[in-house]
Amino acid sequence: MNSKSIKEPIRKKWIWIGLVLIVLANVPWYFPVGDIYPLVFGLPYWALIILVASLVLSGYLYWVTMTQWNLVEDEEEQEQREGGAAE
Amino acid sequence: MTELKFAGLDGVIILVAYAVIMLAIGWFAGRSDKTVNNSLSNYYLAGRNLGIIALFFTLYATQYSGNTIVGYAPSAYRTGLTWLQSISFMTIIIGIYLLFAPRMYVLGKKYNFITPSDWLSHRFKSKRVTILAIFLMLWGLGNYLLEQLVAIGHAVTSLTGGTIPYQVAVVGFILVMLAYEWMGGMRAVAFTDVMQGVVLMVGVVIFLIGAIYLAGGKIGTITESIANVDPGLVGVPDLTTSINWFSMLLLVGFGAAIYPHAVQRIFASKSERTLKRSFARMAWMPPITTGLVLFIGLIGIVVIPGLDTAGSEQLVGLLANEIAGINGFFYWVMIIFFGAIVAAIISTADSVLLSFSSIVSNDLYGKYINPTAPEKKKLMVGKIAGVVVISLLLWIAWNPPGTLYEIFVLKFELLVQVFPAFVLGIYWKKMAAKPVFWGMLLGAVVAGLMTWTGHKTVMGIHGGVIGLALNFLVAVVGSILVPSAEEDDEEVAAPALTRMPTQN
Repeated sequence: MNSKSIKEPIRKKWIWIGLVLIVLANVPWYFPVGDIYPLVFGLPYWALIILVASLVLSGYLYWVTMTQWNLVEDEEEQEQREGGAAE
Repeated sequence: MTELKFAGLDGVIILVAYAVIMLAIGWFAGRSDKTVNNSLSNYYLAGRNLGIIALFFTLYATQYSGNTIVGYAPSAYRTGLTWLQSISFMTIIIGIYLLFAPRMYVLGKKYNFITPSDWLSHRFKSKRVTILAIFLMLWGLGNYLLEQLVAIGHAVTSLTGGTIPYQVAVVGFILVMLAYEWMGGMRAVAFTDVMQGVVLMVGVVIFLIGAIYLAGGKIGTITESIANVDPGLVGVPDLTTSINWFSMLLLVGFGAAIYPHAVQRIFASKSERTLKRSFARMAWMPPITTGLVLFIGLIGIVVIPGLDTAGSEQLVGLLANEIAGINGFFYWVMIIFFGAIVAAIISTADSVLLSFSSIVSNDLYGKYINPTAPEKKKLMVGKIAGVVVISLLLWIAWNPPGTLYEIFVLKFELLVQVFPAFVLGIYWKKMAAKPVFWGMLLGAVVAGLMTWTGHKTVMGIHGGVIGLALNFLVAVVGSILVPSAEEDDEEVAAPALTRMPTQN
């Protein structure tokens, strides 16, 4: 991570549009009520899609947290390095 | 919970072992930092110095309680694949954290916040906003704690086959919890959480393996088998259920992120890097925790079909009995697993209790009763308040009120009402104390009345969510119409943030 720019998730609209879309995909409102078949890997197709959507949600939040949040990290890391060097 | 035929003396031995380990960790945590009892931030926030392992596990063990297994498996049993929602509603919490945690971490470090109400009083400088928020938080925490106390008793009694009676079990474990918390504060809570979190993670996986073993060859055809029992459990749910699912995402997401003990973990982090990494890892925990528990519940439908609502509540005990009967290995694993459930409940209860004490210490006593008291004295008041509240809750747990029972169920519904003030207040300068207060009050009253009168949901939407929407509306519209009496010129964010470009 060599980026020096300050990043804060709340300031990036696209993060939240992405999150809302993924959340919408996480609830099975868009399937016909009562549908079970076909089964994929032994699961009803809709449940598999919801399961994949929830993994996408985890992956997305992991990625956003790791890459789009950088307020004081560089400063803190530098302080720590200086503190460590002084000891 | 059902009496486990596999338990008894062996269960007692395991529980005693857990108790001794917890006490040892607490003693070690207190000893390793001699200054723990000198200041509020050392005791309640581990000196704002939690590293990645302790912070991650304390987030994990606090968010996932014994109820995640004992309560969620029966939910899966009763609602089938609709309980897939337990994965997304636990994951979305991290998304809600991203709305405010990055800035709140910086603010917490800059102004030395101990509790969430420190931020509210800093931001709004309004006694009634702070006091109402304190009341809602203490109420939510108190009920959360009550729930954990009842759960400890049930888990221990069934583990020991009644060898240790319910009340002795609860008192025993509470004393252990109070002892290590008294010695080491947040440091003890976080270090014991590492042990409790690992045991919980491993326990869920092993329990699942046992359940799969039990189901034999039926796993591949599990959908078919469930469809034979009740096709509704594997079919696409109806619209009201989907709306309820969305509502759960909002209620749990906003509620769990704003829990005082959750916010305090932001303050306790050693660095932004540590906090960020802990949250990022937490985003992957729901699939391997609530996701696996969902699967256990589904296997339960096939292995032990036909349980009614009350019967299904015993599902984990029933399955554990069957799994313990497989062979000697599974017998011991199940005993350790039930110990893990007790440990998971305690790891949630200790964090809630610590947070409760901190609010009494720092907010009620420290802000309004005796602001000039030395920190050591404030700390002692909080510790004693913790013991008093635990005793009171025990009394309520053993003498449950017949008619007002629903009052004690309210937690998320009330707690979540602090959200608009807490989060909008960070970013929106125009937000004023008066509308914030009325929004919070109105939201809490609506949510409380709906739950109390038995209308927990309307068309699938929870009372807490309806109250929250109203709360946002009043706070926002009010702040636009009635500008803040005094213009607060002080920059809200930390200096580092002022360099930030408005768009990127």
